[in-house]
Amino acid sequence: MMRGFGLALAFCSGLCAAQPQPQAADGMALLRRIYQATEKLSYTGTFVYQQGERSETSRITRRTGPGGDIERVEVLDGIPREIVRTRDTVRCYLPESQIVKVERRVDQRAFPGVLPAQIADLAQNYTVTRGESRRIAGHDCEAVVLTPKDELRYGYKLWADAGSGMLLKARTVDRKGNIIEQFTFAEFTIGNVPRDRVRASHAAQRWRIEDAAVAPADLARAGWSVNAELPGFRKVTEVTRKLGESRPVGQMVYSDGMAAVSVFIEPMAGRSEAVRPGPSSLGAFQIYTREVANHIVTVVGEAPAASVQRIASQVEYRRPQQ
Amino acid sequence: MKAKISALMDGELGQHETGAALAALRDEGEARAAWRRYNLIGDSMRAMPMLSEGFAARVAARIAQEPTVLAPARRQRPFAQAPVWALSAAASLAAVMLVGWLAFAPQDEPQLAKAAPQSAPAAEIAQVAPPDTANDYLLAHQGYSPRNSLQGIAPYVRTVSTNTLGARR
Repeated sequence: MMRGFGLALAFCSGLCAAQPQPQAADGMALLRRIYQATEKLSYTGTFVYQQGERSETSRITRRTGPGGDIERVEVLDGIPREIVRTRDTVRCYLPESQIVKVERRVDQRAFPGVLPAQIADLAQNYTVTRGESRRIAGHDCEAVVLTPKDELRYGYKLWADAGSGMLLKARTVDRKGNIIEQFTFAEFTIGNVPRDRVRASHAAQRWRIEDAAVAPADLARAGWSVNAELPGFRKVTEVTRKLGESRPVGQMVYSDGMAAVSVFIEPMAGRSEAVRPGPSSLGAFQIYTREVANHIVTVVGEAPAASVQRIASQVEYRRPQQ
Repeated sequence: MKAKISALMDGELGQHETGAALAALRDEGEARAAWRRYNLIGDSMRAMPMLSEGFAARVAARIAQEPTVLAPARRQRPFAQAPVWALSAAASLAAVMLVGWLAFAPQDEPQLAKAAPQSAPAAEIAQVAPPDTANDYLLAHQGYSPRNSLQGIAPYVRTVSTNTLGARR
Protein backbone atom coordinates (compact mmCIF):
# COMPACT_ATOMS: atom_id res chain seq x y z
CA MET A 1 0.00 0.00 0.00
CA MET A 2 2.65 2.49 1.10
CA ARG A 3 4.93 1.35 -1.67
CA GLY A 4 2.16 1.84 -4.22
CA PHE A 5 1.50 5.28 -2.86
CA GLY A 6 5.19 6.11 -2.97
CA LEU A 7 5.44 4.90 -6.53
CA ALA A 8 2.43 6.91 -7.57
CA LEU A 9 3.88 9.96 -5.89
CA ALA A 10 7.27 9.46 -7.54
CA PHE A 11 5.60 8.91 -10.91
CA CYS A 12 3.45 11.96 -10.42
CA SER A 13 6.17 14.28 -9.28
CA GLY A 14 8.13 13.23 -12.37
CA LEU A 15 5.19 14.07 -14.59
CA CYS A 16 4.15 17.24 -12.90
CA ALA A 17 7.55 18.67 -12.08
CA ALA A 18 6.86 21.62 -14.34
CA GLN A 19 3.61 22.48 -12.54
CA PRO A 20 3.94 25.26 -10.01
CA GLN A 21 0.74 24.17 -8.16
CA PRO A 22 1.21 22.42 -4.85
CA GLN A 23 1.15 18.65 -5.08
CA ALA A 24 -1.99 17.16 -3.53
CA ALA A 25 -0.81 15.09 -0.61
CA ASP A 26 -3.58 12.52 -0.71
CA GLY A 27 -6.90 11.62 -2.33
CA MET A 28 -8.98 13.86 -0.09
CA ALA A 29 -6.83 16.89 -0.87
CA LEU A 30 -7.14 16.23 -4.59
CA LEU A 31 -10.89 15.88 -4.22
CA ARG A 32 -11.02 19.28 -2.50
CA ARG A 33 -9.02 20.75 -5.36
CA ILE A 34 -11.57 19.41 -7.84
CA TYR A 35 -14.46 20.98 -5.91
CA GLN A 36 -12.66 24.32 -5.82
CA ALA A 37 -11.80 24.22 -9.52
CA THR A 38 -15.42 23.42 -10.41
CA GLU A 39 -16.54 26.45 -8.44
CA LYS A 40 -13.86 28.93 -9.47
CA LEU A 41 -12.81 28.26 -13.07
CA SER A 42 -14.04 29.78 -16.32
CA TYR A 43 -13.67 27.32 -19.16
CA THR A 44 -14.95 25.97 -22.46
CA GLY A 45 -14.76 22.33 -23.40
CA THR A 46 -16.25 19.33 -25.12
CA PHE A 47 -17.00 16.12 -23.28
CA VAL A 48 -18.40 12.72 -24.13
CA TYR A 49 -20.97 11.05 -21.90
CA GLN A 50 -21.07 7.28 -22.14
CA GLN A 51 -23.70 5.08 -20.59
CA GLY A 52 -24.45 1.55 -21.77
CA GLU A 53 -24.24 1.68 -25.53
CA ARG A 54 -25.06 5.36 -25.64
CA SER A 55 -22.38 7.92 -26.28
CA GLU A 56 -23.16 11.64 -26.56
CA THR A 57 -20.97 14.65 -27.08
CA SER A 58 -21.76 17.94 -25.35
CA ARG A 59 -20.23 21.37 -25.28
CA ILE A 60 -19.87 23.01 -21.89
CA THR A 61 -19.04 26.62 -21.06
CA ARG A 62 -18.66 28.21 -17.66
CA ARG A 63 -18.07 31.85 -16.92
CA THR A 64 -17.30 33.15 -13.47
CA GLY A 65 -17.16 36.80 -12.67
CA PRO A 66 -18.68 39.80 -10.95
CA GLY A 67 -21.91 39.46 -12.96
CA GLY A 68 -22.49 36.06 -11.35
CA ASP A 69 -21.48 32.62 -12.50
CA ILE A 70 -23.20 31.25 -15.58
CA GLU A 71 -22.86 27.80 -17.01
CA ARG A 72 -24.24 26.37 -20.21
CA VAL A 73 -24.21 22.89 -21.67
CA GLU A 74 -25.41 22.01 -25.12
CA VAL A 75 -25.90 18.41 -26.20
CA LEU A 76 -24.56 18.01 -29.74
CA ASP A 77 -25.73 14.48 -30.56
CA GLY A 78 -29.26 13.19 -30.97
CA ILE A 79 -32.21 15.23 -29.72
CA PRO A 80 -31.01 18.83 -29.31
CA ARG A 81 -31.23 20.27 -25.82
CA GLU A 82 -29.52 22.92 -23.84
CA ILE A 83 -29.20 23.65 -20.14
CA VAL A 84 -28.29 27.05 -18.77
CA ARG A 85 -27.67 27.70 -15.10
CA THR A 86 -27.44 31.12 -13.56
CA ARG A 87 -26.84 31.77 -9.87
CA ASP A 88 -30.13 30.36 -8.66
CA THR A 89 -32.00 29.10 -11.71
CA VAL A 90 -31.58 26.16 -14.05
CA ARG A 91 -33.34 26.30 -17.42
CA CYS A 92 -33.58 23.28 -19.66
CA TYR A 93 -34.42 24.14 -23.29
CA LEU A 94 -36.04 21.45 -25.43
CA PRO A 95 -36.30 22.94 -28.94
CA GLU A 96 -38.11 19.97 -30.51
CA SER A 97 -41.03 20.11 -28.12
CA GLN A 98 -40.62 23.89 -27.59
CA ILE A 99 -40.56 23.62 -23.83
CA VAL A 100 -38.42 25.39 -21.26
CA LYS A 101 -38.23 23.67 -17.89
CA VAL A 102 -37.37 26.14 -15.16
CA GLU A 103 -36.17 25.30 -11.69
CA ARG A 104 -35.26 27.86 -9.04
CA ARG A 105 -33.23 26.95 -6.01
CA VAL A 106 -34.88 27.59 -2.69
CA ASP A 107 -31.92 27.17 -0.37
CA GLN A 108 -29.34 29.91 -0.36
CA ARG A 109 -26.50 27.55 -1.00
CA ALA A 110 -24.37 28.58 -3.95
CA PHE A 111 -24.38 26.24 -6.89
CA PRO A 112 -22.26 24.21 -7.46
CA GLY A 113 -20.64 24.85 -4.05
CA VAL A 114 -19.78 21.97 -1.78
CA LEU A 115 -20.79 21.85 1.88
CA PRO A 116 -18.44 20.68 4.63
CA ALA A 117 -21.12 18.13 5.61
CA GLN A 118 -20.97 16.68 2.12
CA ILE A 119 -17.22 16.08 2.40
CA ALA A 120 -17.69 14.53 5.84
CA ASP A 121 -20.40 12.16 4.53
CA LEU A 122 -18.23 11.21 1.63
CA ALA A 123 -15.23 10.41 3.83
CA GLN A 124 -17.46 8.27 6.03
CA ASN A 125 -18.92 6.19 3.19
CA TYR A 126 -15.96 5.86 0.83
CA THR A 127 -12.29 5.06 1.11
CA VAL A 128 -10.57 7.85 -0.78
CA THR A 129 -7.18 7.05 -2.30
CA ARG A 130 -4.95 8.30 -5.07
CA GLY A 131 -4.97 6.47 -8.40
CA GLU A 132 -2.52 6.27 -11.24
CA SER A 133 -1.80 9.47 -13.12
CA ARG A 134 -2.49 9.57 -16.83
CA ARG A 135 -2.86 11.91 -19.75
CA ILE A 136 -6.36 13.03 -20.81
CA ALA A 137 -7.26 15.55 -23.53
CA GLY A 138 -3.66 16.65 -23.75
CA HIS A 139 -3.31 17.27 -20.01
CA ASP A 140 -1.45 15.36 -17.33
CA CYS A 141 -4.06 14.23 -14.85
CA GLU A 142 -4.01 13.02 -11.27
CA ALA A 143 -6.52 10.41 -10.19
CA VAL A 144 -8.58 9.88 -7.06
CA VAL A 145 -10.44 6.65 -6.36
CA LEU A 146 -13.56 6.44 -4.18
CA THR A 147 -14.08 2.87 -3.06
CA PRO A 148 -17.45 2.30 -1.35
CA LYS A 149 -17.28 0.86 2.17
CA ASP A 150 -20.42 -1.25 1.59
CA GLU A 151 -22.55 -2.54 -1.28
CA LEU A 152 -25.14 0.24 -0.99
CA ARG A 153 -23.26 2.56 -3.35
CA TYR A 154 -21.19 2.65 -6.49
CA GLY A 155 -17.46 3.35 -6.75
CA TYR A 156 -15.92 6.31 -8.55
CA LYS A 157 -12.69 7.15 -10.28
CA LEU A 158 -11.94 10.78 -11.05
CA TRP A 159 -9.12 12.28 -13.06
CA ALA A 160 -8.27 15.97 -12.64
CA ASP A 161 -5.93 18.22 -14.57
CA ALA A 162 -2.74 18.38 -12.51
CA GLY A 163 -2.37 22.08 -13.26
CA SER A 164 -5.85 23.46 -12.61
CA GLY A 165 -7.62 20.73 -10.64
CA MET A 166 -10.38 20.65 -13.25
CA LEU A 167 -12.18 17.31 -13.47
CA LEU A 168 -11.50 15.84 -16.92
CA LYS A 169 -12.80 12.33 -16.53
CA ALA A 170 -15.30 10.74 -14.13
CA ARG A 171 -16.19 7.08 -14.08
CA THR A 172 -18.84 5.31 -12.02
CA VAL A 173 -18.38 1.57 -11.46
CA ASP A 174 -20.43 -1.13 -9.75
CA ARG A 175 -19.14 -3.75 -7.29
CA LYS A 176 -17.89 -5.95 -10.12
CA GLY A 177 -16.01 -3.13 -11.80
CA ASN A 178 -18.53 -2.73 -14.64
CA ILE A 179 -18.72 0.86 -15.85
CA ILE A 180 -22.11 2.41 -15.07
CA GLU A 181 -21.38 5.74 -16.75
CA GLN A 182 -18.46 7.89 -17.77
CA PHE A 183 -17.76 11.54 -18.60
CA THR A 184 -14.58 12.30 -20.55
CA PHE A 185 -13.38 15.65 -21.84
CA ALA A 186 -12.05 15.57 -25.39
CA GLU A 187 -10.70 19.11 -25.18
CA PHE A 188 -10.94 22.10 -22.86
CA THR A 189 -9.59 25.61 -22.51
CA ILE A 190 -9.43 27.54 -19.24
CA GLY A 191 -10.14 31.21 -18.94
CA ASN A 192 -11.72 34.20 -20.63
CA VAL A 193 -15.22 33.21 -21.72
CA PRO A 194 -17.18 36.02 -23.44
CA ARG A 195 -20.64 36.62 -21.99
CA ASP A 196 -22.51 35.64 -25.15
CA ARG A 197 -20.99 32.18 -25.01
CA VAL A 198 -23.03 31.32 -21.94
CA ARG A 199 -26.34 32.73 -23.22
CA ALA A 200 -29.08 30.33 -24.27
CA SER A 201 -29.14 30.00 -28.06
CA HIS A 202 -32.95 29.95 -28.08
CA ALA A 203 -35.14 33.00 -27.66
CA ALA A 204 -37.89 30.60 -26.63
CA GLN A 205 -40.47 33.38 -26.58
CA ARG A 206 -43.47 31.31 -27.57
CA TRP A 207 -42.31 28.16 -25.90
CA ARG A 208 -44.23 26.59 -23.09
CA ILE A 209 -42.65 27.29 -19.72
CA GLU A 210 -42.81 24.55 -17.13
CA ASP A 211 -41.85 26.15 -13.85
CA ALA A 212 -41.12 23.61 -11.13
CA ALA A 213 -42.33 26.11 -8.49
CA VAL A 214 -40.06 24.63 -5.87
CA ALA A 215 -40.98 25.50 -2.30
CA PRO A 216 -39.51 24.37 1.03
CA ALA A 217 -41.69 21.80 2.76
CA ASP A 218 -42.03 19.71 5.87
CA LEU A 219 -43.26 16.39 4.54
CA ALA A 220 -42.84 14.73 7.93
CA ARG A 221 -45.49 17.05 9.30
CA ALA A 222 -47.78 16.00 6.49
CA GLY A 223 -47.30 12.41 7.69
CA TRP A 224 -44.59 11.15 5.36
CA SER A 225 -41.38 9.57 6.51
CA VAL A 226 -38.69 7.17 5.43
CA ASN A 227 -38.83 4.81 8.35
CA ALA A 228 -35.32 3.41 8.51
CA GLU A 229 -32.98 5.50 6.45
CA LEU A 230 -30.39 3.75 4.34
CA PRO A 231 -27.03 3.56 6.17
CA GLY A 232 -24.79 6.42 5.09
CA PHE A 233 -27.61 8.34 3.41
CA ARG A 234 -28.84 11.50 5.10
CA LYS A 235 -31.81 13.68 4.24
CA VAL A 236 -30.38 16.82 2.61
CA THR A 237 -33.53 18.58 1.51
CA GLU A 238 -37.30 18.32 1.22
CA VAL A 239 -39.48 20.42 -1.02
CA THR A 240 -42.78 20.50 -2.84
CA ARG A 241 -42.61 21.11 -6.56
CA LYS A 242 -44.29 20.49 -9.85
CA LEU A 243 -43.23 17.78 -12.25
CA GLY A 244 -43.79 18.37 -15.94
CA GLU A 245 -46.80 20.54 -16.62
CA SER A 246 -48.83 20.55 -13.49
CA ARG A 247 -48.40 17.52 -11.24
CA PRO A 248 -47.65 18.67 -7.69
CA VAL A 249 -45.30 16.35 -5.82
CA GLY A 250 -43.31 16.16 -2.63
CA GLN A 251 -39.61 15.43 -2.95
CA MET A 252 -37.16 14.28 -0.27
CA VAL A 253 -33.50 13.95 -1.19
CA TYR A 254 -31.06 11.64 0.57
CA SER A 255 -27.33 11.77 -0.06
CA ASP A 256 -24.16 9.97 1.02
CA GLY A 257 -21.93 12.83 -0.12
CA MET A 258 -21.38 11.47 -3.61
CA ALA A 259 -24.64 9.83 -4.71
CA ALA A 260 -28.18 11.07 -4.16
CA VAL A 261 -31.56 9.37 -4.07
CA SER A 262 -34.83 11.30 -4.44
CA VAL A 263 -38.16 10.17 -3.03
CA PHE A 264 -41.11 11.62 -4.96
CA ILE A 265 -44.59 11.44 -3.46
CA GLU A 266 -47.66 12.37 -5.48
CA PRO A 267 -51.37 11.81 -5.01
CA MET A 268 -52.86 9.00 -7.04
CA ALA A 269 -56.02 11.00 -7.79
CA GLY A 270 -56.01 12.81 -11.11
CA ARG A 271 -53.09 10.89 -12.56
CA SER A 272 -53.56 10.13 -16.21
CA GLU A 273 -50.59 7.91 -16.99
CA ALA A 274 -50.27 4.28 -16.04
CA VAL A 275 -48.55 3.34 -12.78
CA ARG A 276 -46.21 0.38 -13.00
CA PRO A 277 -45.10 -0.65 -9.52
CA GLY A 278 -41.68 -2.25 -9.23
CA PRO A 279 -38.06 -1.59 -10.13
CA SER A 280 -37.05 0.03 -13.40
CA SER A 281 -34.08 1.94 -14.72
CA LEU A 282 -33.36 4.77 -17.10
CA GLY A 283 -29.77 5.28 -18.16
CA ALA A 284 -27.55 5.25 -15.10
CA PHE A 285 -30.51 5.84 -12.75
CA GLN A 286 -32.36 3.18 -10.82
CA ILE A 287 -36.05 3.75 -10.15
CA TYR A 288 -38.53 2.05 -7.83
CA THR A 289 -42.24 2.73 -7.90
CA ARG A 290 -44.80 1.70 -5.30
CA GLU A 291 -48.16 2.70 -3.94
CA VAL A 292 -48.49 3.99 -0.40
CA ALA A 293 -51.73 5.29 1.09
CA ASN A 294 -53.33 6.37 -2.20
CA HIS A 295 -50.10 8.01 -3.29
CA ILE A 296 -47.49 7.01 -5.82
CA VAL A 297 -44.00 6.85 -4.37
CA THR A 298 -41.24 7.00 -6.98
CA VAL A 299 -37.67 6.66 -5.78
CA VAL A 300 -34.97 7.72 -8.24
CA GLY A 301 -31.28 7.40 -7.55
CA GLU A 302 -27.72 7.25 -8.77
CA ALA A 303 -27.23 4.16 -6.63
CA PRO A 304 -27.51 0.39 -7.03
CA ALA A 305 -31.04 -0.96 -7.57
CA ALA A 306 -31.09 -2.64 -4.14
CA SER A 307 -30.38 0.68 -2.36
CA VAL A 308 -33.13 2.48 -4.26
CA GLN A 309 -35.54 -0.33 -3.48
CA ARG A 310 -34.59 -0.32 0.21
CA ILE A 311 -35.38 3.37 0.52
CA ALA A 312 -38.65 2.87 -1.38
CA SER A 313 -39.72 0.03 0.91
CA GLN A 314 -39.27 2.24 4.00
CA VAL A 315 -41.51 5.09 2.86
CA GLU A 316 -44.42 5.32 5.27
CA TYR A 317 -47.49 7.45 5.83
CA ARG A 318 -49.01 8.06 9.24
CA ARG A 319 -51.97 10.34 9.64
CA PRO A 320 -50.56 13.46 11.29
CA GLN A 321 -51.81 14.11 14.83
CA GLN A 322 -53.86 17.25 15.16
CA MET B 1 -44.34 -6.32 -50.52
CA LYS B 2 -40.56 -5.90 -50.16
CA ALA B 3 -41.07 -2.58 -48.43
CA LYS B 4 -43.58 -4.29 -46.11
CA ILE B 5 -41.07 -7.03 -45.26
CA SER B 6 -38.42 -4.44 -44.51
CA ALA B 7 -40.84 -2.56 -42.26
CA LEU B 8 -41.82 -5.84 -40.57
CA MET B 9 -38.18 -6.53 -39.71
CA ASP B 10 -37.88 -3.09 -38.20
CA GLY B 11 -41.05 -3.68 -36.21
CA GLU B 12 -42.77 -0.74 -37.86
CA LEU B 13 -45.93 -2.44 -39.08
CA GLY B 14 -49.27 -2.21 -37.35
CA GLN B 15 -51.10 -5.30 -36.15
CA HIS B 16 -53.19 -5.67 -39.29
CA GLU B 17 -50.30 -5.16 -41.70
CA THR B 18 -48.12 -7.51 -39.69
CA GLY B 19 -50.71 -10.24 -40.21
CA ALA B 20 -50.70 -9.69 -43.98
CA ALA B 21 -46.90 -9.65 -44.14
CA LEU B 22 -46.63 -12.86 -42.12
CA ALA B 23 -49.22 -14.49 -44.39
CA ALA B 24 -47.10 -13.57 -47.42
CA LEU B 25 -44.06 -15.09 -45.71
CA ARG B 26 -45.81 -18.40 -45.27
CA ASP B 27 -45.37 -19.24 -48.95
CA GLU B 28 -42.08 -19.72 -50.72
CA GLY B 29 -41.86 -16.68 -52.99
CA GLU B 30 -40.78 -13.09 -53.38
CA ALA B 31 -41.60 -12.13 -49.81
CA ARG B 32 -39.75 -15.08 -48.30
CA ALA B 33 -36.74 -14.38 -50.55
CA ALA B 34 -36.75 -10.73 -49.48
CA TRP B 35 -36.99 -11.76 -45.82
CA ARG B 36 -33.95 -14.02 -46.19
CA ARG B 37 -31.99 -11.43 -48.13
CA TYR B 38 -32.72 -8.61 -45.67
CA ASN B 39 -31.79 -10.77 -42.70
CA LEU B 40 -28.59 -11.77 -44.48
CA ILE B 41 -27.76 -8.10 -45.04
CA GLY B 42 -28.56 -7.32 -41.41
CA ASP B 43 -26.45 -10.23 -40.19
CA SER B 44 -23.49 -9.27 -42.32
CA MET B 45 -23.74 -5.65 -41.14
CA ARG B 46 -23.66 -6.93 -37.58
CA ALA B 47 -20.79 -9.25 -38.54
CA MET B 48 -22.73 -12.36 -37.50
CA PRO B 49 -21.29 -15.74 -38.44
CA MET B 50 -23.15 -17.05 -41.51
CA LEU B 51 -24.88 -20.40 -41.66
CA SER B 52 -24.03 -22.48 -44.73
CA GLU B 53 -26.19 -22.01 -47.79
CA GLY B 54 -29.49 -23.86 -47.75
CA PHE B 55 -29.22 -24.56 -44.01
CA ALA B 56 -32.89 -23.89 -43.37
CA ALA B 57 -33.96 -26.07 -46.32
CA ARG B 58 -31.78 -28.96 -45.12
CA VAL B 59 -33.16 -28.75 -41.58
CA ALA B 60 -36.69 -28.70 -42.99
CA ALA B 61 -35.91 -31.76 -45.14
CA ARG B 62 -34.42 -33.67 -42.21
CA ILE B 63 -37.47 -32.91 -40.10
CA ALA B 64 -39.72 -34.10 -42.89
CA GLN B 65 -37.88 -37.44 -42.96
CA GLU B 66 -37.98 -38.02 -39.22
CA PRO B 67 -40.83 -40.12 -37.86
CA THR B 68 -43.43 -38.00 -36.11
CA VAL B 69 -43.13 -38.46 -32.36
CA LEU B 70 -46.54 -38.64 -30.83
CA ALA B 71 -47.20 -37.98 -27.19
CA PRO B 72 -49.33 -40.63 -25.43
CA ALA B 73 -52.89 -39.85 -26.42
CA ARG B 74 -55.05 -38.30 -23.76
CA ARG B 75 -58.39 -39.85 -23.25
CA GLN B 76 -60.61 -37.61 -25.27
CA ARG B 77 -64.27 -37.33 -25.76
CA PRO B 78 -65.16 -38.26 -29.35
CA PHE B 79 -66.36 -34.79 -30.36
CA ALA B 80 -63.12 -33.18 -29.20
CA GLN B 81 -61.13 -35.11 -31.81
CA ALA B 82 -59.45 -32.66 -34.13
CA PRO B 83 -59.97 -33.23 -37.83
CA VAL B 84 -56.99 -34.74 -39.67
CA TRP B 85 -56.35 -31.61 -41.74
CA ALA B 86 -56.01 -29.48 -38.65
CA LEU B 87 -53.34 -31.76 -37.20
CA SER B 88 -51.35 -31.71 -40.41
CA ALA B 89 -51.65 -27.95 -40.60
CA ALA B 90 -50.42 -27.71 -36.99
CA ALA B 91 -47.53 -30.02 -37.78
CA SER B 92 -46.39 -28.01 -40.77
CA LEU B 93 -46.76 -24.77 -38.81
CA ALA B 94 -44.59 -26.32 -36.10
CA ALA B 95 -42.03 -27.24 -38.74
CA VAL B 96 -42.02 -23.74 -40.14
CA MET B 97 -41.65 -22.29 -36.65
CA LEU B 98 -38.75 -24.61 -35.86
CA VAL B 99 -36.99 -23.74 -39.10
CA GLY B 100 -37.65 -20.10 -38.46
CA TRP B 101 -36.27 -20.32 -34.96
CA LEU B 102 -33.16 -22.17 -36.14
CA ALA B 103 -32.60 -19.70 -38.91
CA PHE B 104 -32.78 -16.75 -36.53
CA ALA B 105 -30.88 -18.28 -33.69
CA PRO B 106 -27.51 -16.70 -34.59
CA GLN B 107 -29.17 -13.32 -34.71
CA ASP B 108 -30.68 -13.73 -31.28
CA GLU B 109 -27.54 -14.95 -29.58
CA PRO B 110 -25.75 -11.64 -28.97
CA GLN B 111 -28.88 -10.19 -27.38
CA LEU B 112 -29.10 -13.15 -25.04
CA ALA B 113 -25.44 -12.84 -24.24
CA LYS B 114 -25.94 -9.18 -23.40
CA ALA B 115 -28.98 -9.80 -21.26
CA ALA B 116 -27.35 -12.58 -19.27
CA PRO B 117 -25.02 -10.57 -17.01
CA GLN B 118 -27.90 -8.29 -16.01
CA SER B 119 -30.09 -11.15 -14.94
CA ALA B 120 -27.27 -12.95 -13.17
CA PRO B 121 -27.51 -11.50 -9.60
CA ALA B 122 -29.68 -13.72 -7.47
CA ALA B 123 -31.54 -10.85 -5.83
CA GLU B 124 -32.54 -9.34 -9.17
CA ILE B 125 -36.26 -8.84 -9.60
CA ALA B 126 -37.95 -8.52 -12.98
CA GLN B 127 -37.87 -4.91 -14.08
CA VAL B 128 -40.88 -2.95 -15.22
CA ALA B 129 -40.80 -0.18 -17.82
CA PRO B 130 -39.69 3.14 -16.33
CA PRO B 131 -42.48 5.67 -15.58
CA ASP B 132 -43.74 7.53 -18.68
CA THR B 133 -42.47 10.79 -17.25
CA ALA B 134 -39.20 9.35 -15.94
CA ASN B 135 -37.20 12.21 -17.42
CA ASP B 136 -39.15 14.72 -15.34
CA TYR B 137 -38.13 12.80 -12.21
CA LEU B 138 -34.50 12.66 -13.33
CA LEU B 139 -34.40 16.38 -14.06
CA ALA B 140 -36.01 17.17 -10.71
CA HIS B 141 -33.50 14.91 -8.99
CA GLN B 142 -30.43 16.23 -10.76
CA GLY B 143 -30.62 19.66 -9.14
CA TYR B 144 -29.83 18.07 -5.76
CA SER B 145 -27.15 15.63 -6.86
CA PRO B 146 -23.79 16.12 -5.09
CA ARG B 147 -22.25 15.46 -8.49
CA ASN B 148 -23.03 19.08 -9.41
CA SER B 149 -20.41 20.38 -7.01
CA LEU B 150 -17.89 18.08 -8.65
CA GLN B 151 -18.82 18.55 -12.30
CA GLY B 152 -20.96 21.67 -12.56
CA ILE B 153 -23.95 21.14 -14.82
CA ALA B 154 -22.31 18.42 -16.94
CA PRO B 155 -24.31 15.67 -15.13
CA TYR B 156 -27.53 17.28 -16.40
CA VAL B 157 -26.92 15.71 -19.82
CA ARG B 158 -27.67 12.27 -18.45
CA THR B 159 -31.08 13.26 -17.15
CA VAL B 160 -32.50 13.95 -20.57
CA SER B 161 -30.38 11.52 -22.47
CA THR B 162 -33.08 9.32 -23.93
CA ASN B 163 -34.98 9.38 -27.15
CA THR B 164 -38.28 9.07 -25.30
CA LEU B 165 -38.01 12.76 -24.51
CA GLY B 166 -39.60 15.02 -27.08
CA ALA B 167 -41.22 12.06 -28.81
CA ARG B 168 -43.54 11.96 -25.85
CA ARG B 169 -45.40 15.12 -26.68
